[in-house]
Amino acid sequence: MKRDKQPHPAPSDREEPVRVNRRDFVSSAMAAGLAAAGAGAAGKASARQAAGDAQAPGALPPTAAQEAMESEIPHGYSADQAREYFVSNPGSDFMLDVIRRLGLEYIATNPGSSFRGLQESIVNYGGNQAPELLTCVHEEQAAAMAHGYYKVAGKPMGVLCHGTVGLQHASMAVYNAWCDRAPMILLAGNHLEATERRAGVEWSHSAQDCVRVIRDYIKWDDMPLSLQHYAESMARALKIAMTPPAGPVAVVLDGHLQEAEAGDRRPSLFSVSVNQPPTGDEAAVAEAARWLLEAESPVIVADLMARDQEGVERLVALAEALQAPVVNQFGRMNFPNTHYLSQGSAAVARADVVLGLELFDVWGVINTVRDRVHRDSVRKARPDARVISIGSNDLFTKSNYQNFQRFYPSGLSIAGDAQATLPLLTDAVLSGMTPARRASNAAREARWREAHALARGQALDDARYGWNASPVSTARLYAELWQVVKDRDWALVSDDGAQSRWARRLWPIERHYQYIGRSGGAGLGYGAPAAVGAALAHRPEGRFAVNVQKDGDMMYTPGAFWTAAYHGIPLLTVTHNNQGYHQEYMHLQRMAARRQRGIESSWRVGNELRDPDIDLAGIAGATGVWAEGPILDPSDLGPALARAAEVVDGGEPAFVDVRCQPR
Amino acid sequence: MSVRSRIPRPRGLAVGLLLLWTLGATPAWSDEPGDDVEEGLALYISQQCWQCHGYKGQGGVAGVRLARTLLPYEAFARLVRFTNLMPAYSPKVLSDEQLRLIYAYVQSIPEPPPLEEIPELDFE
Repeated sequence: MKRDKQPHPAPSDREEPVRVNRRDFVSSAMAAGLAAAGAGAAGKASARQAAGDAQAPGALPPTAAQEAMESEIPHGYSADQAREYFVSNPGSDFMLDVIRRLGLEYIATNPGSSFRGLQESIVNYGGNQAPELLTCVHEEQAAAMAHGYYKVAGKPMGVLCHGTVGLQHASMAVYNAWCDRAPMILLAGNHLEATERRAGVEWSHSAQDCVRVIRDYIKWDDMPLSLQHYAESMARALKIAMTPPAGPVAVVLDGHLQEAEAGDRRPSLFSVSVNQPPTGDEAAVAEAARWLLEAESPVIVADLMARDQEGVERLVALAEALQAPVVNQFGRMNFPNTHYLSQGSAAVARADVVLGLELFDVWGVINTVRDRVHRDSVRKARPDARVISIGSNDLFTKSNYQNFQRFYPSGLSIAGDAQATLPLLTDAVLSGMTPARRASNAAREARWREAHALARGQALDDARYGWNASPVSTARLYAELWQVVKDRDWALVSDDGAQSRWARRLWPIERHYQYIGRSGGAGLGYGAPAAVGAALAHRPEGRFAVNVQKDGDMMYTPGAFWTAAYHGIPLLTVTHNNQGYHQEYMHLQRMAARRQRGIESSWRVGNELRDPDIDLAGIAGATGVWAEGPILDPSDLGPALARAAEVVDGGEPAFVDVRCQPR
Repeated sequence: MSVRSRIPRPRGLAVGLLLLWTLGATPAWSDEPGDDVEEGLALYISQQCWQCHGYKGQGGVAGVRLARTLLPYEAFARLVRFTNLMPAYSPKVLSDEQLRLIYAYVQSIPEPPPLEEIPELDFE
């Protein structure tokens, strides 16, 4: 069945949600159902939910007995208690109003009783539109979907989960997002008032401080004890999450607050504007421009820099003004790889001034630690190279987890958002440029054009090797995929680092949305759900999303494919199935060689994923996704991808399992 | 003398490789690969060379291309024994004879099809 892929219309700020009480629920449920079916925006899931609502007991007209219950005192209730037998305006309706004002379009969730109040408000009071619930089968999947969604949509997704077991499940994906500077708003259900907890599970699912488990790698959290407190904390959470360096935040939703009568309370009609990204100090930027203009061989290195296409274009403007090469570390798509100033990391070794933009690891650009018994440091850059660092790293960090990397004493360190600072820097460069320096640009351009053409030729030549190999070479995997995507508006929603970077080497990547970078914390389980979240963000634009999925990573969170099928999220997934945890093969090999024990008979232990071979296509197919494979003969790959692409063009996810070479 | 102190510096190694290459050093067995190639392939697989260099020696981000390597044997052996890039295989786990057979195999890997015959690599 093909699904209508039209996105939900986002409610305007002025739109007042319909307030629904028990008596007029029938009409509102019908309205919600009609809206869902008519707009078709929620796809198959909402249509199914709307159909279910129409048959649910709660949607039927009140019977005489029900009417009596609302006017009489039920057995076992005091008169005061009877007044609270039904709830007309639950607190969670208010909570939903706030969420809508913040503009969250989606909330990924695995359902749980600690937030049953808000779940009911979303699906009935809100009609499951803006925000729409995305049903996930694991909280790690939910958080990773939010991670991938942000990197395309540029705005956060909500993640609704139990404050205890849900956050524990989500924690790995939250850590990845933290390392990757991807904001999300975690909404954690909890019952703080002990005397009102139901016996048993409600105690196990409550905590004094449920966010503690993830606090080391989120930016901020709060546990509001009133609805107004909640409204203000949600607004604050959004602002903090989106302010560079962006990152996850959490707000605890007290169970009693959700479920109790809120009366006529309505959220204050505040409008939330997120902070403008901070620019670097003007005098420091002018000094940076002077260094760059004085340099013989300035090199720009960019990592978690561009938030959107504007960021890419700003970097192109600076690079062309200086005729300086750009080493894109692809934490984000910062610079077109088709531009002649796009160069490999070897350019750093020749630089006399290195400009680092939002680097994950400044020290690691300049130095390296050799992986041997004596872990000595080696400088990769010239001894006299000066380093300018512009980034938001130092504006917010924490101490426990060490993802901030080794300290490097940059000669000129500018705290500020690099994308926001680039126009100032480019203006300073252009205004400070002497005629002699400008005249040298032609020679610089010629040099870099030649180097770029050489690298391009080398990549194509390298891709030939192993062309007809079985298992399929990773170069061929990307070359065959290119045949599928080249005439479509495509977007890669995975990282190609484990596939010898063939997307970056072969595909022309020119738009910001065409590459979303890596997981951040290198925690497995990111790939499939992040790809589904990113594909969801691409859906309104009609883009063809492609996920090259590692087999080991897939086994952590395969349920993401069910979510893609359930919600009608078009996504082509092609596996890089090397039947093992290949990075660990190499580590074991290094250890065994170092100890002169050899690896001939032991390399499989702990690392391989075969015998029995995992039927990845079977797993994906079992989640409702069109699936084919495994492909072993490279000549079978192109036709299989073409078949899968037809499915994706029809608005569905598709999956092709390809047995590949290790890297 | 410690093992570490015997390891040549990268610059010295590079000069050595260049000299060997410009002198046109070639292995004595290159004319008759035969059984050596088959044994070399078996060793290439069992010693896990393929993990980083690929089953066909095509190389990638984890290891350099070995297929039809331009390195003379002496330089190839030097890289396997003494390197900071890959796990250094000592003669205790990989004998000189085994290394020679592996070299014979990687030298024998057929040339891949030319670019003109691979339409999938036409990105123009």
